[in-house]
Amino acid sequence: MGVDSPSISESRGPAADVSNPVHSYNVRICHWINLISCVYLLWSGVHIFLDFPELYWGHTGYRGYPAAFRLADWGLSWEDAGAIGDRRWGRNYHFTAAWVFLINGLVYVGWNLYSKHFRNRMVPGRDEWTVANVRAELRDSVRWRSRRHTHDGAAAGASYGTLQKTSYLILIFVYVPLMILTGIAQSPGFTAAMPMLLDLFGGRQSARTLHTIGTVALVLFVVIHVLEIAAAGFLVKVRSMIAPGSE
Amino acid sequence: MSNRISRRTLLASLPTLGGLLLTGCTRETFVPPRVRGGLIGAADVLTMSTNRLLLSRQQLAREYSRSDVADPFPTWNQTNPRNAEYQRHASEGFTNWRLPISGLVARSRELSLAEIRRLPARTQITAHVCEQGWSAIGEWTGVPLQRVLDEAGGVTPAARYVVIDTFDGWYEGYDLFEVAHDQTILAYGLNGRDLPRGNGAPLRLRVERQCGYKQLKFVKSIRVVDSMAGIGRGTGGINSDFGFHWFAGV
Repeated sequence: MGVDSPSISESRGPAADVSNPVHSYNVRICHWINLISCVYLLWSGVHIFLDFPELYWGHTGYRGYPAAFRLADWGLSWEDAGAIGDRRWGRNYHFTAAWVFLINGLVYVGWNLYSKHFRNRMVPGRDEWTVANVRAELRDSVRWRSRRHTHDGAAAGASYGTLQKTSYLILIFVYVPLMILTGIAQSPGFTAAMPMLLDLFGGRQSARTLHTIGTVALVLFVVIHVLEIAAAGFLVKVRSMIAPGSE
Repeated sequence: MSNRISRRTLLASLPTLGGLLLTGCTRETFVPPRVRGGLIGAADVLTMSTNRLLLSRQQLAREYSRSDVADPFPTWNQTNPRNAEYQRHASEGFTNWRLPISGLVARSRELSLAEIRRLPARTQITAHVCEQGWSAIGEWTGVPLQRVLDEAGGVTPAARYVVIDTFDGWYEGYDLFEVAHDQTILAYGLNGRDLPRGNGAPLRLRVERQCGYKQLKFVKSIRVVDSMAGIGRGTGGINSDFGFHWFAGV
């Protein structure tokens, strides 16, 4: 597989099966490794959180210190949460999944910068960022209906809408780096090497709180992502992430 | 078995490149005493190697100001070992307690708390970071661990780990890179007063670049070894014996 072997979706020739285009091998493989590592990150993160189910702001936070969030206020007592949360399992899998996520993410970004996937297919064109186009996408999105065609009229199994492109770019280049930084800002080792991480987020406990808020935000994003896929035709979209297509 | 060795060799070779750049560093600087199997073990090596490369200049952990200190400092887990020997020393104000320093040092010896307090002290206001997620800032006063080893004539060339045993039955191994750090101290003072029993009297270790479970309380003895094999379950410490990370920099 080389960068110059075009995936079906990227070829404009008449032979391309535009009714069922697929993502490149790289996008597909990275997507599923990413999904597995994210599931582990989320699940292990929930375990770590349940083992100490309070959040604080600033440099300091311990049981008895004024908390910004207590799970106990929402119906799950400290003892009950601790009985569910297994931090040994959680920490082992969280940091392992983090490395898988990071390495996979670097391969994904590196490869797609090299193959110009980002430039060609993910950076919205000037003609796409028009008021009329964004308004139309928002209207469709609110109605849970995906635009099934791109601006050049091709079917959209593996192509992205303007808002979709923008949200993916924000996810990859803003959200993910912030999650990594708020994660390592909690580490005594990494913060000794990079003390500015503590100043960046206003303290170790602030970083932990932001890391948790980011996790909740991601879960909401994934729910919307899946609903949008459903609106676009679930089978077509998922097939474009799995199958080599009807070649 | 051959698979296990080849995997370990592979993992161990990862950080060797970095090791060449640093003088005085050994394999132990980058790899835990016993590398676990599978992806978890690979992640352990990546985490430790990355940390050690980033900290190769032995940078200090952030030191805070007095106004950031938590006083009283929170206590956690064991606050009063039931061990009879400990209770006797505590009731005597630790005046008859001696810290044995043995193993791969030039000359084994024992130090009283008074002798330890007469050694050059260091005070640092640092964050205690628990792996559970809490953190609190305390002003710790003590003597650098390296200075205590120097009182025993220093470690021999074969030395690789310093093992600390405690009165509540815990033990942990620390590689010499961690031991040599300026902020690695045996603390006898907290927030300007004697270290309270709940926080680990008579001595507790501070390794400011690792999580709380490596900051052993109720220090009983120090020994210097060439390998962690044969101590406990051989993973390098009681926490890793129970499946936690040996290197607790995250």
